[in-house]
Amino acid sequence: MTSLLAQIITVTMMNIRSLPQRLWMSLAMVLASAVVVAILLAFLAMAEGFESTMNGAGSDRVAVLMREGSAAELNSVVSREQVNLIAESPGIARDGNNTPLVSPELYVVVDGLKKSSATEANIPLRGINAEGMAMRENMQLIEGRMFTPGTNELIVGAGVLREFDGFAIGEEVRFGKNVWTVVGVFSTGGNVFESELWADVTVIQSHYDRGSSYQIIRAQLATPGDISDLEKTIEQEPRLNLEVQTESAYFAGQGKQLQYMAIFGRVISAIMALGALAGALNTMYTSVADRAREIATLRTLGFSNFSAFCGTLIEALVLAATGGLLGSVAAFLFFDGLSASTLGGSFTQVVFSFEMSPDLFAQGAKLALLIGFVSGFFPAWRAARLPVIVAFRAAT
Amino acid sequence: MNNLYLIYKNMTRKPLRLFLTCFAIFIAFLIFTAVTTLKSALNSGIDLAADDRLVVVNRINFTKSLPIAYHRKVAAIEGVKDVTHVNWFGGYYQDAKNQIVTMAVDPESYLRVYEEVVLEPEQKASWLQARQGILLGRKLAEAQGWKIGDKIPLSSNIFSNKDGGHSWDFVVSGIFDGIDEHYDTRYALIHYKYFIETQTFGGDWIGWMTLVTEDPSLNQQVADAIDNSFANSQNETDTSTEKAFNKAFIEQIGNIGLIIFGVVFMAFFTILVVVGNTMALAVRERTGEIAVLKTLGFSAKRVFAMVLTESMLIALIGGFLGLAVGWVIIEGAKSSMAQFLPNLAVGGDIVGQALLYMILLGLVTGLIPAYNALRLNIITAFNRS
Repeated sequence: MTSLLAQIITVTMMNIRSLPQRLWMSLAMVLASAVVVAILLAFLAMAEGFESTMNGAGSDRVAVLMREGSAAELNSVVSREQVNLIAESPGIARDGNNTPLVSPELYVVVDGLKKSSATEANIPLRGINAEGMAMRENMQLIEGRMFTPGTNELIVGAGVLREFDGFAIGEEVRFGKNVWTVVGVFSTGGNVFESELWADVTVIQSHYDRGSSYQIIRAQLATPGDISDLEKTIEQEPRLNLEVQTESAYFAGQGKQLQYMAIFGRVISAIMALGALAGALNTMYTSVADRAREIATLRTLGFSNFSAFCGTLIEALVLAATGGLLGSVAAFLFFDGLSASTLGGSFTQVVFSFEMSPDLFAQGAKLALLIGFVSGFFPAWRAARLPVIVAFRAAT
Repeated sequence: MNNLYLIYKNMTRKPLRLFLTCFAIFIAFLIFTAVTTLKSALNSGIDLAADDRLVVVNRINFTKSLPIAYHRKVAAIEGVKDVTHVNWFGGYYQDAKNQIVTMAVDPESYLRVYEEVVLEPEQKASWLQARQGILLGRKLAEAQGWKIGDKIPLSSNIFSNKDGGHSWDFVVSGIFDGIDEHYDTRYALIHYKYFIETQTFGGDWIGWMTLVTEDPSLNQQVADAIDNSFANSQNETDTSTEKAFNKAFIEQIGNIGLIIFGVVFMAFFTILVVVGNTMALAVRERTGEIAVLKTLGFSAKRVFAMVLTESMLIALIGGFLGLAVGWVIIEGAKSSMAQFLPNLAVGGDIVGQALLYMILLGLVTGLIPAYNALRLNIITAFNRS
């Protein structure tokens, strides 16, 4: 048993030491598996980043109410009267002063200049009040101060600041005929709210002729995740043509789109992997053919078929793993933390970052090893089975 | 023994290697075809927009509406030949996922401005008379199986009906075609008046205006005149050509698209490099044989041509297979993707590009070994092996 192990080690070391002789072919295989792994990781990192941006926004403790049938905030309208009815409904949490924690919000779309392309893109400008602010527990001002209610002041999400020009603190921004002053930068822990601008809700109502209407009601639930009381209220009160869902359910629905990207990425990298596999198989067959005489000599000397098999297989695995490692490092350097933005559910930009998690690296490593195994197995089989006489003849 | 026979023998000597090489090229071009087709489908809205049409939207954003009074004011501006206004209805049929692109328009001016819409005169007359009439694009009607005279309830995910609920009943008055097959007819038109009178909010507002100028050279002047006349009003406008407007919208999908295409393209070229390396190696291995050929009296030129033809053949076989299978896949996906990407088709420019890359691959991988073969000194070659 030990001698078999020793044989395998000897053959493997020999193969690996002779790699420089087959430099170009070996590099080709490394490159091929590196590219496949890098593609897979790029797509997965994008999907993961987008998902965590969407999911991080949703809380189970908050209910979202919109006009029935409106798939997204932009399409919804909610009246002041409805807000009051909801505030009195059972199932809603109240603060120390017995004030119901209800945040009616209004949302308009404004243009910002994208840094990356210098083109205009849609940013949501959200009108919000103090309760709404309190409801977003992970919201914190990282710079500047809060806007003063009743004035044309706004605070800007960290994501907007990253992707768009002209939103630094103290700058004046013009939307239509209104001029706003940026007074603060807020972070909400990387979730989708960071892609927004926030200002006083009543100021937005008056600037944008919205009267006393809102688009969405956020309400803190007395029992997290339990919207049954609210559903009952809506059912009994004909004036409430609203739909209620928890915030986490709402954002999970909104995040669906980019999941298709992840599927697309997996399909592309699977197909690419087939192409890379063909290249890798070529490499390994050539490698075996190059060393036919070597292998034959070893076997004449008494090395077993199995050790010849293992030697070749390990060589392939080493090459593919090197490629996988290179690909992962490249993907990490290029994509981790890369800020990107795209059109979200309401015709507005969602800013998110590519996220490279350890789980992704594991997936990349698996793919690389799979390529290495398949591309090594068949040539190794051939190396082990090739009759010694034939090998000597072929080599001369 | 003619050249082709020799090339064939050379190529098929190691059938497995030939297969693997062709397969890798096949995969690379398959992906190239699929991805570039997707990309061009995304951009097709820009290419099809007319040059002389301008779009007037609210300066804040196109999702914010404009007062209907603007329509008359714009019509009076010098250089404006015709103007129509459009409201986005946000329509869907039965299920919110089954979206029907529906626009509430001023019928007569819409048909004047959008000359691409081709409609039988009697259908046009019947639509203009029927308040509840809806005009369907041919592709939309076919996809949903709707015929003239059908009564269809459409719901809106934005507006609500005065009767309560979000549904409106429409009767199909006509089915229109596009002026050419690239014109996307997957949308429906309804009467603005009927829409505005039956909805609960947003009365007397329009989504955006489309206008044609008397001459495309007047575009800039007209756009400036429109924007200036509404400057500092409650609703400022932003006027741009239809092309620029569509382009701006597509660009919002953003750097995601750019990153994906970048990554896929890098992968495409890497696969080509890897494959090219194998192909070049295959020729290098045969130095001895080339020397034999030369000894037998084959001219250097003939050997050069043979080596180059071989690498070209491999690149073209793999490439064309990839292109063909890519085409089959795109054709298959066409119908299921039609809702999002109506213009999914492998265009001539994509085929041309693919062909160019195949030839380049064949040249680059074949040229150096072929040149080496050309210059090969018989004696050194024999010594080497």
